[in-house]
Amino acid sequence: MSAYFLRRLLLLIPTFLGITMLVFTVTRFVPGGPIEQMVMKMQMSSTGGEGGSGSGDMATSVELPSAVLAELEKAYHFDKPIHQAYLLWLADLVTLNLGKSYKYNIPVHELIFSRFPVSIYFGLIGFTLAYLVCIPLGVLKAIRHGGVFDFASSATVFIGYSIPGWALGGILLVLFGGGSFWDLVPLGDFRSANWEELSTWGKVTDQLHHTLLPVLAYAVGSFATLTVLMKNSLMENLGQDYVRTAFAKGLPERRVIMLHALRNSLIPICTGLGHAISLIMAGSYLIEKVFNIDGIGYLGYTSIIERDYAVVMGILVINTFLILLGNILSDVLYVLVDPRIRFS
Amino acid sequence: MSADTRPLISVRDLKVHFPVYGGILRHQVGAVKAVDGVSFDLAPGKVLGLVGESGSGKTTVGRAIANLLRATSPDVHLEGTISLDTPSGVVDVNGLSRKAMMPHRSAVQMIFQDPYSSLNPRMTVQGLIQRPLDLHTDLTDAEKLDRVRALLGRVGLQPEYANRYPHEFSGGQRQRIGIARALATQPSLIIADEPVSALDVSVQAQVINLMLELKEEFSLAYLFVAHDLSVVYHISDRIAVMYLGNIVELGDADQVYRNARHPYSRALLSAVPVADPRHDTSGRIQLEGDIPTPMAKPSGCGFRTRCPIAREECSLDIPILTDCGEGHLVACPFHDEAFGVGATPAREGNQRDS
Amino acid sequence: MTDVTNKAAAETVLEVRDLHTCFDIEGESAWAVSGVSFDVHADEFLGIVGESGSGKSVTALSIMRLIPDPPGKIARGEIHFGGRDLLSLDYREMHKVRGREIAMIFQEPMTSLNPVFTIGMQVAETLRHHEEISAAEARARAVEVLTQVGIPDAAKRLDDYPHQFSGGMRQRVMIAMALICRPRILIADEPTTALDVTIQAQILDLMKELLASRRGSSVILITHDLAVVAETCQRVIVMYGGKTQEIADIEDLFDDPRHPYTRGLLDSIPTEQNKGKPLHAIPGNVPGILSFPAGCKYCTRCPEVIERCKIDGPPLVEVAPGHHVRCHLVEDQGAEGSP
Ligand SMILES: Nc1ncnc2c1ncn2[C@@H]1O[C@H](COP(=O)(O)OP(=O)(O)OP(=O)(O)O)[C@@H](O)[C@H]1O
Ligand SMILES: Nc1ncnc2c1ncn2[C@@H]1O[C@H](COP(=O)(O)OP(=O)(O)OP(=O)(O)O)[C@@H](O)[C@H]1O
Ligand code: SF4
Ligand SMILES: [Mg+2]
Ligand SMILES: [Mg+2]
Repeated sequence: MSAYFLRRLLLLIPTFLGITMLVFTVTRFVPGGPIEQMVMKMQMSSTGGEGGSGSGDMATSVELPSAVLAELEKAYHFDKPIHQAYLLWLADLVTLNLGKSYKYNIPVHELIFSRFPVSIYFGLIGFTLAYLVCIPLGVLKAIRHGGVFDFASSATVFIGYSIPGWALGGILLVLFGGGSFWDLVPLGDFRSANWEELSTWGKVTDQLHHTLLPVLAYAVGSFATLTVLMKNSLMENLGQDYVRTAFAKGLPERRVIMLHALRNSLIPICTGLGHAISLIMAGSYLIEKVFNIDGIGYLGYTSIIERDYAVVMGILVINTFLILLGNILSDVLYVLVDPRIRFS
Repeated sequence: MSADTRPLISVRDLKVHFPVYGGILRHQVGAVKAVDGVSFDLAPGKVLGLVGESGSGKTTVGRAIANLLRATSPDVHLEGTISLDTPSGVVDVNGLSRKAMMPHRSAVQMIFQDPYSSLNPRMTVQGLIQRPLDLHTDLTDAEKLDRVRALLGRVGLQPEYANRYPHEFSGGQRQRIGIARALATQPSLIIADEPVSALDVSVQAQVINLMLELKEEFSLAYLFVAHDLSVVYHISDRIAVMYLGNIVELGDADQVYRNARHPYSRALLSAVPVADPRHDTSGRIQLEGDIPTPMAKPSGCGFRTRCPIAREECSLDIPILTDCGEGHLVACPFHDEAFGVGATPAREGNQRDS
Repeated sequence: MTDVTNKAAAETVLEVRDLHTCFDIEGESAWAVSGVSFDVHADEFLGIVGESGSGKSVTALSIMRLIPDPPGKIARGEIHFGGRDLLSLDYREMHKVRGREIAMIFQEPMTSLNPVFTIGMQVAETLRHHEEISAAEARARAVEVLTQVGIPDAAKRLDDYPHQFSGGMRQRVMIAMALICRPRILIADEPTTALDVTIQAQILDLMKELLASRRGSSVILITHDLAVVAETCQRVIVMYGGKTQEIADIEDLFDDPRHPYTRGLLDSIPTEQNKGKPLHAIPGNVPGILSFPAGCKYCTRCPEVIERCKIDGPPLVEVAPGHHVRCHLVEDQGAEGSP
């Protein structure tokens, strides 16, 4: 079995290369890349123009010195054929150099790592919340299958599912953010501005205050899938022969469901944990935007819009890596929770 | 097998190994030796019964003869020859690709154990039975329609059933549909893989009767796989007993059924329950343990791990089928001693005195 | 109600009376069992035979009160056991009967054990649930029964999972699990149908041995194979269409089958004498559960059917001591023969 996991780890490399190569190529051919943006910027500053997009014909009138252009191209390896550029990028990557963000003008890894804690914080809490709510809910729905509770809870989670997280965030803010309705929570931000000055207790409550709504917005969308997965998995196991055996042994219903059937139906849920690590880190641009949180989702989105390719590639590298690692983690979890699985 | 009749099918040293992959580079680390050197002949119009424990390779032998293995397991390893006597001369089925097999496919047809899953649920009975006709004949549509109706009538179903779907039929009726489909191309050999195992006792008898009638009427040969020995004995001219990919005993039905010589066949026959409350089971040969996996076959005789008379020599060479009189073949050099050595002597006249 | 007693007035441990169980299939009531009455005697191997859909499993599950509800329901009847009617027990009391006094094993040894728990845990669980016993003691008892049912090296295999056992071994584990509390009745629903002939012989012999070594326990063996019954049982119940058609001692049933269905079943078995000749098959097919006829359930296939059969269902009558038959022909004979 260790051979299996070793093989999976080795397979990471070609998969990783494939994905990055694809995206690298795309960034090279999509118009509006860093050079063009830089050129635009410089032209604007040299003509003193302020209006952004309206200054199109003015911009063309001024020529950039070819020396500057060449230097720019060199910095982004645009002077080389694409495969060489990719290899250069890869060589940098091996030395953990992800390049420099042209927008913020700081190394990409510093930029990304400065945003991670916030995203992980919300991701992790949202994710824990989802499991804490959905597993008991799914179990209860399976036991009361077809009843009023089952029906009502299905309706609720599916409404949650069909409202996008950012929209829900917006609604929640309108309701509870001190606008026209209740003033229960702050309007956003990761913490209050005066957080450092608060007492320990004050720090905790302040943080919780700021956490509540974004986490709900993050998590509610995932409730439906997870709850339904839990319910179906348990229902399926309740129909299995070994459940009949457990009843025939004289075990009470509670033990049959909560031990025998539940243990089996948690297998697909557990293995989903591996895939979740990439989701934890992914963040969500729109939710972060609504709540004014400076996370990875926001960074990724703005980098794409502004063609800050070094950052885009950097986030991509980390996410790809996490997804691939998550898949392997899922397999490991599978082996741990299901004694029948022996990969070879 | 008498010398003057040419066998319809002649299998020589057939080996079917399914590779098993593992390791970091997914190279082949072993093989399931599902069939490991099987030889037999089957004369036209005769029935060879194939019995043996689950996993002994019976189905695989049947699929090899019908040339169906490569379709499901492209990297299967095949060895040996399967000579099929066709109107255009003898061909070795074992070497043929799917395409080269096409002209001969109509000669060898299969019927399966599970009448529920072997019929496409989305096709009508007409479509199901007509399909082999589409593939192998150039009859007109009207002729095909007539043929299907005639076939349905022949297997005891009303021709009006032609437009219904398989799920509208009971297990026995579905098996009849399967038989009609196999008959459509006028084959000379039908491989019947546990055709009655899934059926109710009362219906099982109907299907056996039908198969016996059809055999006479169309001079069919059957390779009849089943685990119910009384059924196999009833229908077969010859019986082969398989264990772990090898034939351990082969002979006329009476030779094998009444006078089994191989320790495994004897244990198998003595284990078969007899529908007679006064039948004495005290002489039963109890086998210890389970059949080993074909991935890790014991050296020498495959049966030695469970054989009541196994001795050291048994682990050396794979015993070959040898004639112990009148063409009765046994793959155990100690089959004679088997009667004296075991704590359980063979019953008078061997087995099943009713 | 017909009096169902055995000629040798053996002690009766379980009495099933007029059991009716139905399933709701798309709004229609499908009577899987309709009027089944029989006794189980102490120390006996009782067989229930019949073809697929005759209601054997439903009868067994009704005794265990394991009929899935919905769609199933035990509509009528009584099941007397240990001075109580099992059908009127509340859930808590029923839990104490299951596994401790009446145990059951099933056809599919491959799926009847929980794949994620060890063999030791599953065998000991029954005991720990029914008796005040320490974990260590329960384990020791588990080793003991597993050894009894022929698991070699049982102590070492306690921590193995079911998938590490072969089908035959799993069925042995199931038997160990069922027997660990020394129940009075073991119901075995087709325990060997999924197994090879040689393994089947092992398991049946094991069950016979265990029964012989434990006074006071009985086995109800459910099967569709008359040969298995002939080999293991002392008494047999033949079922068809949710009703008991014939109840007799094993020898009586094979020597003098009185019901046309029993005769049909016996005749369809190939024997040495009729090799290669046409078998006496029963015509037609077993009807679907919703399409059994009114009157005698067998009348659509019976070669000896008379007009009356299609109108009313025959009662179960005792034609000889301990030999009960449900057929109009026999009823007539019985009436003629009796003073
Ligand atoms: N496509 C395949 N790939 C790998 N192994 C296979 C394949 N088909 C069959 N086998 C293995 O080959 C062996 C023989 O299988 P086969 O189905 O021929 O047995 P059988 O005698 O028909 O058994 P049964 O009575 O259970 O039908 C088994 O161990 C089986 O697992
Ligand atoms: N859960 C269920 N829902 C609906 N119908 C059922 C259910 N269980 C059993 N039945 C029906 O009850 C009838 C009797 O079934 P039962 O399982 O007792 O048959 P059996 O005699 O045990 O047959 P087999 O040999 O196939 O096991 C069948 O027609 C079946 O369709
Ligand atoms: S009652 Fe009639 S139909 Fe039923 S078994 Fe007897 S003769 Fe046949
Ligand atoms: Mg097979
Ligand atoms: Mg059943």
